[in-house]
Amino acid sequence: MEDFLQNNGFLLVTLTQQALLAISLYYPLMTGQLSVASPGFYAVGGYIAAIMGTIDFFAPWRAVLGWAIFPLEWLIAGLVSAVLAVLVGIPALRLRGIYLALATIAFVEILRVLCLNMEITGGAIGIFGVPQMFENRWSYIWVFGPLLIIMLLFTWRLEQTRVGRAFKAVREDEMAADCMGVNPTYFKVMAFVIGAVLAGVVGAMSAPFLNTWNARQGTFDASIAYLAYVLIGGSRSMWGPVMGAILLAALPEILRPLKDARLIINGLVLIIASIYLPQGIVGALQRLRIFMIRRVSSMSGGS
Amino acid sequence: MSIIIEVEQLSRNFGGLTAVKDVSFTVEEGEIFGLIGPNGAGKTTLFNLMTGITPVSKGTIKYKGHLLTGLPPFRIAAQGIGRTFQNIRLFKGLSALDNIKVAQHSRTVSGLISGIFGLSKCRLEEKRATEKAWKILNLVGLSDRAMELAANFSYGDQRRLEIGRALALDPNVLLLDEPAAGMNAAEKHSLTRFICEISEQFNLTLLLIEHHVPLVMNLCDRIAVLNFGELITIGSPAEVQKNPAVIEAYLGAE
Repeated sequence: MEDFLQNNGFLLVTLTQQALLAISLYYPLMTGQLSVASPGFYAVGGYIAAIMGTIDFFAPWRAVLGWAIFPLEWLIAGLVSAVLAVLVGIPALRLRGIYLALATIAFVEILRVLCLNMEITGGAIGIFGVPQMFENRWSYIWVFGPLLIIMLLFTWRLEQTRVGRAFKAVREDEMAADCMGVNPTYFKVMAFVIGAVLAGVVGAMSAPFLNTWNARQGTFDASIAYLAYVLIGGSRSMWGPVMGAILLAALPEILRPLKDARLIINGLVLIIASIYLPQGIVGALQRLRIFMIRRVSSMSGGS
Repeated sequence: MSIIIEVEQLSRNFGGLTAVKDVSFTVEEGEIFGLIGPNGAGKTTLFNLMTGITPVSKGTIKYKGHLLTGLPPFRIAAQGIGRTFQNIRLFKGLSALDNIKVAQHSRTVSGLISGIFGLSKCRLEEKRATEKAWKILNLVGLSDRAMELAANFSYGDQRRLEIGRALALDPNVLLLDEPAAGMNAAEKHSLTRFICEISEQFNLTLLLIEHHVPLVMNLCDRIAVLNFGELITIGSPAEVQKNPAVIEAYLGAE
């Protein structure tokens, strides 16, 4: 067991982390908004943790708080992400579809260029030697794992409540929702902020995990990767992004023996999935289930 | 009888086109008020202005003496003005039950956190919302298919579900945009009865856009006729039928 964790612990934690980021992208999608801003908030969260963990200004805080500095980092990363998300979300969410996607890509790029050029973020070099929470990599599962479980429970509950129904109503038909008393802007911004806070907190947890933080952490590539998680997994249920993230993040590791050919396989999986699984893996499984139920009932009806 | 809706000098331009021009009328409480006119006369635009979807260019709309113009649709809905759409706009990916529960949004208060933790107040609210949704589904005759997605319903059932959804708002005023469109004679007949029933049961004021003449003539207390965005006449069905301007609008002048 110890050996397995030593060898695969990093991958295990990465899968959990990617699943969380996929959920952060799923939130705006619950209201029908295609936003890929998550890497931006992830980067901000990571910088907050890296800065609070390294610069002299926070040295007394670190001395007094000890390990408790980490939860404080998550809290501040979450709060900053929330404020930033409200400021960005209110104007950006007036855009629809691909235009919103482009605006959020621009947001991620602006943040990246800013961080590349500011002194406090360490410029192009980034921030090194972020204090570790645990002695080994796999132990980080004790922070990412519970967060994933909490988010799954949170999302599962949300979908059965008044707010969750309002999200879905806005996704299905924004104008009809408006005419039924649901304020679409309010719920679109709310979903965007929840996704942003999650991405920010995951970033703040990831900086110690990765030990270093730089402008390569929140990029356009990451936006596309997270979007692929949701597309492959399915965007209509929270299990979609989680399954997509685990599958796609694990794929390069599984295909490692193929060396460079694995990138080709990776691309092929994306293309094949988008052609044959338009509703993602979860959508395909649901259809399979309905098909099986019909098969079974027609067989029993025939006998 | 008191005036519930007061429309004054209402206009809406789309670029150079005047879709609604200086339209004024009042609707009395409990009335069934018909709105007819040839295609493109501005009937649906008038509904969109009244529900806040399309901003008003000029003029005012008052509901129980309060100004509605300038309010966003969700605020107008919360005041008790429900509507259906000409081209049916259900939440297709939601179950029939959830479609109706969404419309109770403005009558309920549970927030994000209180809802997720299932505080007792919210659980009670959720229970009541579900009970009410079942009642409405019974009323529109769809309770045996409550968990099915709205997308899987037949055209006539979708129309009924959409009326049910609007009823879940607890409206005082209901705007029905061509409720009988695409229905066969038997369906139209049962729809007419259904509209009469709900208007009495819920003490509703109804505004009705409809092309099917017998339905309008049977149901409506008064009828307003629009042509090219202008109001030609208002009166009882018998008066409107005889009006030469109305005949001209529909059939052309001799």
